[in-house]
Amino acid sequence: MKPPAFRYVDPRSVADAVGHLQEHGGDAKILAGGQSLLPLMNLRLVRPQVVVDINRISALAYIRETDGVLALGALSRLQAVVGSDAVTRRVPLLAEAAAHVGHLAIRHRGTIGGNLAHADPASEIPAVLLALEGQVVATGPRGARTIAVADLFRGPLSSALDPTELLTEVRVPITPPGCGSVFLEVSRRAGDYALAGMGVLLQRDGEQCAWVRIAVCGVGGTPLRMREAERILERSSVTEDTLRAAARAVEHAVAPSDDTQASADYRRHVAGVLTVRAVRQAWQRAGREGR
Amino acid sequence: MAKRARETNVREIELKVNGIAYHETVEPRRLLVDFLRDHLGLTGTHIGCEHGVCGACTVLVDGQSVRACLMLAVQADGAEVTTVEGLARDGKLHPLQEAFWEHHALQCGFCTPGMLLTAYELLQTNRTPEPDAIRDAIAGNLCRCTGYQNIVSAVQAAAQAAGRA
Amino acid sequence: MADTTRRKWVGKSIRRLEDPKLLAGEARYIDDVHESGMLHAAVLRSPYAHARIKRIDTSRAKALPGVLAVVTGKEAAVLAGPVPAFCAEPVVQHAIAIEKVRFAGEAVAAVAAVDRYVAEDAIDLIEVEWEPLPVVSDVDSALRPGAPLVHEGLGTNLVFGRTLTFGDVKGDFARADRVVRRRLRWPRAAAVPLETAGAVAKYERTSQRMTVWANTNMYHYSAMPFAGTLKVDPNKFSIVPVAVGGSFGSKHLLSKVITIAGILSKATGRPVKFMEDRIDNLAASDSHASDRVYEAELAVTTDGRFLSLRIDVVDDYGAYFQFGQTSHGNYLSQVTGPYTIGSVEITLKAVLTNKCQQMVYRGAGSEVNNWMLEALVDTAARQLGMSPVDVRRKNLIRPEQFPYKIPTGNYYDSGNYAGVLDLALQMVDLDRWRKEQARLRAAGRYIGIGLATCQQRSVYSATEFWFWYEKPGFPVTATPEGVTVRIGQSGQFTVSLSSPFWGNSPETVVAQVLAEEFGIDPSTVSVLYEDSIRALPAAGPGGSRLTVMLAGAVNGASRKLKDKIFRIAAHLLEASPQDLVLADGKVSVTGVPQRGLTLADIAANAHFFKMSLPAELETGLDASHTYDHPFTTPPSADRSDLGAFYPIVAHAAHVPVVEIDVDTGLVKFLDYVAVHDCGTMMNPAALEGQIAGGIAQGIGTALYEEFVYDSEGQLRTASLLDYLLPTAAEVPSIRIGHQETPSPYTPYGLKGSGEGGRMVAPAAIANAVQDALAPLGVEVSELPITPDRIVRWVREARARR
Repeated sequence: MKPPAFRYVDPRSVADAVGHLQEHGGDAKILAGGQSLLPLMNLRLVRPQVVVDINRISALAYIRETDGVLALGALSRLQAVVGSDAVTRRVPLLAEAAAHVGHLAIRHRGTIGGNLAHADPASEIPAVLLALEGQVVATGPRGARTIAVADLFRGPLSSALDPTELLTEVRVPITPPGCGSVFLEVSRRAGDYALAGMGVLLQRDGEQCAWVRIAVCGVGGTPLRMREAERILERSSVTEDTLRAAARAVEHAVAPSDDTQASADYRRHVAGVLTVRAVRQAWQRAGREGR
Repeated sequence: MAKRARETNVREIELKVNGIAYHETVEPRRLLVDFLRDHLGLTGTHIGCEHGVCGACTVLVDGQSVRACLMLAVQADGAEVTTVEGLARDGKLHPLQEAFWEHHALQCGFCTPGMLLTAYELLQTNRTPEPDAIRDAIAGNLCRCTGYQNIVSAVQAAAQAAGRA
Repeated sequence: MADTTRRKWVGKSIRRLEDPKLLAGEARYIDDVHESGMLHAAVLRSPYAHARIKRIDTSRAKALPGVLAVVTGKEAAVLAGPVPAFCAEPVVQHAIAIEKVRFAGEAVAAVAAVDRYVAEDAIDLIEVEWEPLPVVSDVDSALRPGAPLVHEGLGTNLVFGRTLTFGDVKGDFARADRVVRRRLRWPRAAAVPLETAGAVAKYERTSQRMTVWANTNMYHYSAMPFAGTLKVDPNKFSIVPVAVGGSFGSKHLLSKVITIAGILSKATGRPVKFMEDRIDNLAASDSHASDRVYEAELAVTTDGRFLSLRIDVVDDYGAYFQFGQTSHGNYLSQVTGPYTIGSVEITLKAVLTNKCQQMVYRGAGSEVNNWMLEALVDTAARQLGMSPVDVRRKNLIRPEQFPYKIPTGNYYDSGNYAGVLDLALQMVDLDRWRKEQARLRAAGRYIGIGLATCQQRSVYSATEFWFWYEKPGFPVTATPEGVTVRIGQSGQFTVSLSSPFWGNSPETVVAQVLAEEFGIDPSTVSVLYEDSIRALPAAGPGGSRLTVMLAGAVNGASRKLKDKIFRIAAHLLEASPQDLVLADGKVSVTGVPQRGLTLADIAANAHFFKMSLPAELETGLDASHTYDHPFTTPPSADRSDLGAFYPIVAHAAHVPVVEIDVDTGLVKFLDYVAVHDCGTMMNPAALEGQIAGGIAQGIGTALYEEFVYDSEGQLRTASLLDYLLPTAAEVPSIRIGHQETPSPYTPYGLKGSGEGGRMVAPAAIANAVQDALAPLGVEVSELPITPDRIVRWVREARARR
């Protein structure tokens, strides 16, 4: 399985990259880590006329903390995210989710920007960024714009990015003190895409849950926020009853599909199971770290 | 009907592979694994799936394990690549290869080069890996012959031998 | 039991001769073969499972620069005939489909170009006009009256059907107190070795000679049929072996790959390489495996004795029948398992559908029978209120009963099945796990202890290929393995093998045997692999035969060599051959070690000093021996007795312990004990490697692997993202125990063992899952046991309460 022919450009700046995208529009594909794009090209399921390799844009590889926000350049490799002191301390949920992506060799190349732009609904990063209420910066011919992650995903493998835009930065609010978070997933084998995955971030206030954010992957055309489950848990205690109620809310809210790995029924069921386990674990972690 | 893209740009690349410098001309679409095997004649790196799942094509690029079927050769311009051929020195096996031999960690040998490089990388960062850590590290390298346990033993043994050295 | 302590090399876990080149990346696999001017092939595959090819236009493909040939089925048929097939039925297959396609992925055109990239570009430019036909997507629709026919000429999709009855099945069932019934579904899986199939064909037009390199097997035999297919004179056709990156039964012939490479080489006059890519391999290989539904019955008494077994099995063979119903001949060797079951009836229906064809995969059909039988046994235990251990003990064949003839006529040569079971239970500490199970059950956790006690027949006889037929067209009875052992001028040993390296350890085996025979250092032996012209008759790896067969062949060659060596030595030492002894690479007069000659001395004489030799001896020191099956007898004319055809029978007991998370359906191994009795062990480390690897594949079959076809015959699991092979995270450490009950029929008492792990693991794991879910009354009737299925079974079981 070899890729079809394409014209190859490897710009050194965002402006040059955008210039190429503007010139070729829908005929061009951005090559970041390549861990999602290359398989599709090798299988000839995707046949871009032009490949814009952004790996030489060194200005896009950074992890910076400013004003309560962690900013990651789009070319931040997933393994760099896993191993980053700043991410592990400031947004532990992101580091934890990134460690679930594939295997080390994939994380060495895969980038956070590429992962988000690919918009695979089974992918872990989009789900946790949804829970973290992150934003992305998209740079196009008319300049940069900020898109809330909540508005980024349109459908399976479909994002709000224009074909002439390059995702250049990911912004995540730093997790406040007193929070607990966890990412859990169920998959057939280690490193596989999640059959269902859940990221939970909550802040604990004594025995009450001050607020909670829950997002899921693998159970819909996009990652989904579980707002009804959040509503049940917020300003409540985390008890067996509230957990079960939250689980039922999640089961009702998700929109999974059948495939050869698992049925929609199974995914729905497991999303509920994950709710109980993830919220409980996030709660315990908050207890350990909180006041 | 869209105009079919014509191959208009071949690229010159310079890279080091197992310490030897190469200056080659390639089509951008040439996969790194094919470049290594066909252009450079380094057939130790194997192709098992071409969709990034099996790990047989694992090489090190600037010291990091990558799947050579998911990288274009042009992307390795300026890089230092290590393949299995770079492990042995003058016909003398690397201690990791010796450990695989001692512990019967291979049968058909097809996954072995990728497995060796993955293990090599692990031992660079974790000098005393526990079996679970080894299994986790090699979970991205499929083996259909061994059932993995001898590979785990071999890596542990190599780590211990290195520790004693 | 034979005194093995006197053996110096047989039984030792020496490190392998094969390994250094494999470790260094220096082995030559098929994709490493490069010939000057070599072209690369790609294949256009049918998107339809069943369709007529109305029109195929290759003009744009041919015009693409770098393309040297584009061949359709019609054009290929001028250059090549149908691919070799080993079935009696008139099911004809062309490597490139001519009039219609019969499975999604069947080849309809092939391209030869300067590289694989360009070849695939050319594939994109081929236009096909299709007339889709109704799809035969499963056996039920295939057998319905008026069903579309996969092969019109056959007139039916039931390509083979027959009932074989052995013993008084009717009477035994009538006498039974109870009949245990199960309906069981075994999924279609395949070997999926890490290396795909490939061939390089080099046709030299002026001399009309073709050389084929391929990662195939049995080329001494297959060369002639391939020569026939490719229309080359058989003595101008050769197949050259290469290192093989795993086969597990799937690379015995490689008829499509070799034929396509050959066709393209003839079309271009250049060497052509055709490598299956992974999609080719998953969708269109020669070798998917058993795809069966069983209705099985075990007749039992109240006190737990098994009287009789009745099996009704339907197997979905896909679109072709290349290997016939071999995988159903295979298990007749051990159909009643290790039990004293007195009679058995098998009703087989082999059905054609619009799917990829079958061949064999490690176990060759017997692993399926093992699973079915062990499911019946555990069900019997449950229904009779006996433990799985006790019900087996009640029925295991006893040591004094060997050689034991089973109802089909095959023999089990030797065994001590209770001994294996005892050791397995002791190693796993069954009592401790049962206590743990009770404790955890009370805490709402589900752990299960599985048990399977199964046979692993080894060293097949060719009769299994044809004894289903009363009047077989070609009743082959040879299953040889030939080697040549050469002692060179300075006494160095070289062995020529006639079969390929598949990831097994043929070099190490022959080296160990030679070391045992001659007292040399095994690491000094050099091993070569001959091409089909120079190879001796050989069937190669398969059916767990090779270690036994190589030992026999090397023994035979060693005998001949020793005869000559002793005659030379006797002559030179002026002694009688009876007064000489060979030890540690030296021949000396018994009791007078200083009066001796090294093998090097003797070899030098043999090669150079003709005048110093006995007059009747030729110059040189080499011997060939073609060993054949040590114990096989023909079937009776009426097939009421199939004869001895797989009588070297190993045995194993597996005890996996699993924990099931019933909320997610995920299965985790807490322990896995496997005790194998493979007779005398040649190389325990290599044997354990085979066992562990086989168990890993068994775990794959039990929990992860399945080819899923939809109602349109589309393969939904067509990449390694969907067809799941177990990784190091899914396969536990296996604790392996051994018992050695030698075979009375083989060299050193060896038994074959290569397939064993996979032959037992699915049965054991299914029983473990069933044991874990026993409180819920769940029965495991299908594989793979996916999380989805477990959750569904648990939900259904809870609803029933």
